Amino acid sequence: MLRLHNLFKVYRTDEVETVALNGVNVEIDQGDFVAVMGPSGCGKSTLLNIAGLLDNPTDGDYFFFDENVAKYSEAQRSAIRKKNIGFIFQSFNLIDELNVAENIELALLYHDMPSAERRKRVAGAMDRMGIAHRARHMPGQLSGGQQQRVAVARAVVGNQPLILADEPTGNLDSAHGQEVMEMLRSLNAEGTTIVMVTHSAAHSDYARRTVNLFDGHVVTDNRRAA
Amino acid sequence: MFWNNVKIAVRNLRKNKLFAFINIAGLAIGMTIYVFGGLLIKYEQSHDVFFEKSDRTYIIGAYAAPELDVGIEKMNTTFTAVGPIFKSELSAVEAVARTIAFEYLLTMGTDSFYQTIRFADPDLLQIFDFSYVHGDETALDDPSGVIITEAAAIKYFGGTDVIGEVITLNNEHDFHVTAVIEDVPQNSHFNSLPVMDVPMDVIGPIKSLSRLRDFDEAGEWNNWSMGNMTYVLLPDEFDAAWLQAQADGIYERLVPEEKREVISAFWISSLQHANVAIWDTIGMPVIAVIGILSFLVLIVACVNYTNLATAQSLGRSREVGMRKTMGAGQRQLLSQFLIESLVISGIAMLVAVAALELVIPLFNNAAGKVMTLDYLRTLPWLIATTALVGFCAGLYPAWLITRASPIDALREVARKGKKGSTVRSFMIGAQFAISAFMLAIVAIVYMQNEKVKESSYEFPRSEIYGLGRLETDGISEKLDTLRHELEALPNVDSVAYSSQVPYEQTNSTTNVAGNPGDEAGKFQIQLLRMSPEFLETYDIPLLAGRNLSRDIANDEYVSEESEVINVLVNELALVRLGIDRPEDALNQRFYDLDEEDTLREMVIVGVVPTQNIVGLFNAEKAWMYTYQPETFRMGSVRITHGNIIDTVDEIEQVWKRVIPEYPMQGRFLDEVFDDVYKILKYMNIALAGFAFVALSLALIGLFGLAAFMAAQRTKEIGVRKVLGASSTQIAKLLVWQFSKPVMWALALALPAAFFASNLYLDFFADRIESPIIILLVAGAIAVLLAWTTVAGHAFRIARANPVLALRYE
Repeated sequence: MLRLHNLFKVYRTDEVETVALNGVNVEIDQGDFVAVMGPSGCGKSTLLNIAGLLDNPTDGDYFFFDENVAKYSEAQRSAIRKKNIGFIFQSFNLIDELNVAENIELALLYHDMPSAERRKRVAGAMDRMGIAHRARHMPGQLSGGQQQRVAVARAVVGNQPLILADEPTGNLDSAHGQEVMEMLRSLNAEGTTIVMVTHSAAHSDYARRTVNLFDGHVVTDNRRAA
Repeated sequence: MFWNNVKIAVRNLRKNKLFAFINIAGLAIGMTIYVFGGLLIKYEQSHDVFFEKSDRTYIIGAYAAPELDVGIEKMNTTFTAVGPIFKSELSAVEAVARTIAFEYLLTMGTDSFYQTIRFADPDLLQIFDFSYVHGDETALDDPSGVIITEAAAIKYFGGTDVIGEVITLNNEHDFHVTAVIEDVPQNSHFNSLPVMDVPMDVIGPIKSLSRLRDFDEAGEWNNWSMGNMTYVLLPDEFDAAWLQAQADGIYERLVPEEKREVISAFWISSLQHANVAIWDTIGMPVIAVIGILSFLVLIVACVNYTNLATAQSLGRSREVGMRKTMGAGQRQLLSQFLIESLVISGIAMLVAVAALELVIPLFNNAAGKVMTLDYLRTLPWLIATTALVGFCAGLYPAWLITRASPIDALREVARKGKKGSTVRSFMIGAQFAISAFMLAIVAIVYMQNEKVKESSYEFPRSEIYGLGRLETDGISEKLDTLRHELEALPNVDSVAYSSQVPYEQTNSTTNVAGNPGDEAGKFQIQLLRMSPEFLETYDIPLLAGRNLSRDIANDEYVSEESEVINVLVNELALVRLGIDRPEDALNQRFYDLDEEDTLREMVIVGVVPTQNIVGLFNAEKAWMYTYQPETFRMGSVRITHGNIIDTVDEIEQVWKRVIPEYPMQGRFLDEVFDDVYKILKYMNIALAGFAFVALSLALIGLFGLAAFMAAQRTKEIGVRKVLGASSTQIAKLLVWQFSKPVMWALALALPAAFFASNLYLDFFADRIESPIIILLVAGAIAVLLAWTTVAGHAFRIARANPVLALRYE
């Protein structure tokens, strides 16, 4: 599904040059559940951003469904993103001015979908995440765990085949964290490919595969036996 | 999607109530001023359109010759002899009509009123389709017929069915009503001209003037005065350019040689322009200035909005990032943000329209106008303005916030970094430049006007009570008695008669020279005819020689008779005559070159200081004072002590006793001055209004931005405080952030204001000396206001507990 080949990402400022990714090679198959781990600054988030087509690599190739997207413009990436990728962030990134249902609907808003269909899907996603009774609440009125459920609902409502999660449990207590991981696991069981960055060894256990990064290199890539 | 965006826009407004208020209020104020300015311009420029032929009617005016030097550029009036010439020369025109205004005492039975009558050629009724209540357009064919308006009919006779009723002019000439017309609307030049200041209520036939006074129907070349109009009605196929060309030809062929020193050319203007022609007369582009200023205020308001919206939008960086992550394109996001600014602009326009509905009636009331906000006609313009403002003001913030990559947007790179801060500084600067520019101009105009006022105290204007219409036959013969009786009043100091009083905008001149026929050495001298008491009444000292006297031969000037006249002159006349000292001037002679038949010789018997008698725009001029009782129009009664109101009562009693046939027409010299000064005063009030609004907007914007920027830097402030920075140091830091753009704004605005204010000062002969100092003070005030606005907020932030500041992030 995803094939990152000899990928480099270099951040340049006037004085320093920081190599965030240094020749990374990773392949992710459809249906995979991958945990990306490593210490702070090792390049996890950079890898996720590139994989999620939020950013371009400095060098190397990135095949998304056999299409080399490494040099795509923002507009091209945007088109692929909205069809294929759902995102979950550590800080939820809910929009404060929109209520729960509207926040979830946001993921469908740019899809050319009739509003009746949108409402139906949003209702379905809310039911699935157990937040239907919160539909009219604003994000500020929800607990962290509830907010992250909204974020997950938003990531799945578009039925995209790939979900990228950047430390989805980082801002949650362990009980809520576990809840989110269970959700991801069940999504994966239904066939959604999941790539997740995490610091938590416990949460990485939910994944079928763990990629360890250090200083921009992949150091280990372990597949758990089924 | 559209409604979704509108919903978000409204929610955002609700969430940030203070910013929403500032944004909407700022834009609404700017729009109110802009729309008001536009309506006013439209109103002023579309007078008389209800006359069916107004688009084919033109007015013959004239350019002032450079030699004239009376502070006017051109007037839309001309000599009364011009109309008949046009009529006989141009067979193609449909009609030519003059109106000549004279004031008479009208008596109907026992009631008497002073009333300005417009004496008109019969063609007037062909040019203007008045609505006749009684009578018709033949009303002026009868040489003793008059047309009156409904209002006048009701005032004079208590009803409108008054055909044939008799009106007596100056107690001796009987006229009768031949037509009653509906009142002419306020937005007709007949009623709106500031120089006339009286509604057009009575129209009489020009033919009758030969009976009423020494006036030939063919007109004359003696008097070029405001209020005497000459209208030309052209057939459809001709236009102003054609008439101007014809007028130029007539000027070349038929204007007498000596009148070319008064008017240098004819000036053809359209009837619909007549209402604003007064500004052409003094040469001030007032209409254009209103347009420019109201537009500048709108710009300031837009920039204000753009600036605040930019700052605010940075706070929504994450939202943009999220939307982009979800696949929103820049176009979709741009339209989202533009819809938001259009919503705000729409709300602001609604507020502005509501404000206009309140302001326009107040303005109409105060200014005697009948402006309206005609929704049907103005709607497209209002909508276009709303759309343009929403689009222009919202485009930059929308572009700035939506152009970031999704990652940068999510990380709020823009908010944390300095992106856009240059543009923001530029916008603050631009706003301040415009406000400071206006403030500086207001200061200069104000100081110049004060100077005009200050100079006017040269004469004891608050102690002089003026009496008018003394030239009327029944009054002029009783002036000596009147003077004796008035002087006997205990509180009256002195009584003088003259051809004009100070501040009256009339110029009576003749050309003189030190030797007979000396064309090269000739110069223009102003004539003031006065009784000997004039000097005492106006505190004018004699520098040499003696005052004029009733008892000395040759002191009295009798026109058509006197060949040698004793005169007083002012010092400036001495300069022109090449005489060094006042003492040397006594018994020197000079000659009137404008008299064709006789050589009139003037003998200087006294010298007075140079004073600016006409005042206002005019330069100090050479004056000659003669004693010529037949030309007295005005009386000046000096009241130095006692109760003024009681004394005026006593004066009126005396008048009634001496001249019972005519009511007294009196007013204080202060009012004469205020009458001419009011144009300057209103101009200054209007300018100050514009400047106040612009500056307030700039300060509101600055306050909003300061609040926003301080909130952005909360963490930084907390860290600085933890590290030991004092409140003052923090406040300084915040204030400094805004000082740079304000400073460069001043560097641009002040020189610009200097040039612009010179355009105004150029109208005045007697100018303020140091406009630069005034500019600098105005600039300093602008900076101080800016600092105060920012500093108040900065100190509040700076004094807060640092832990609070840190926890906030």
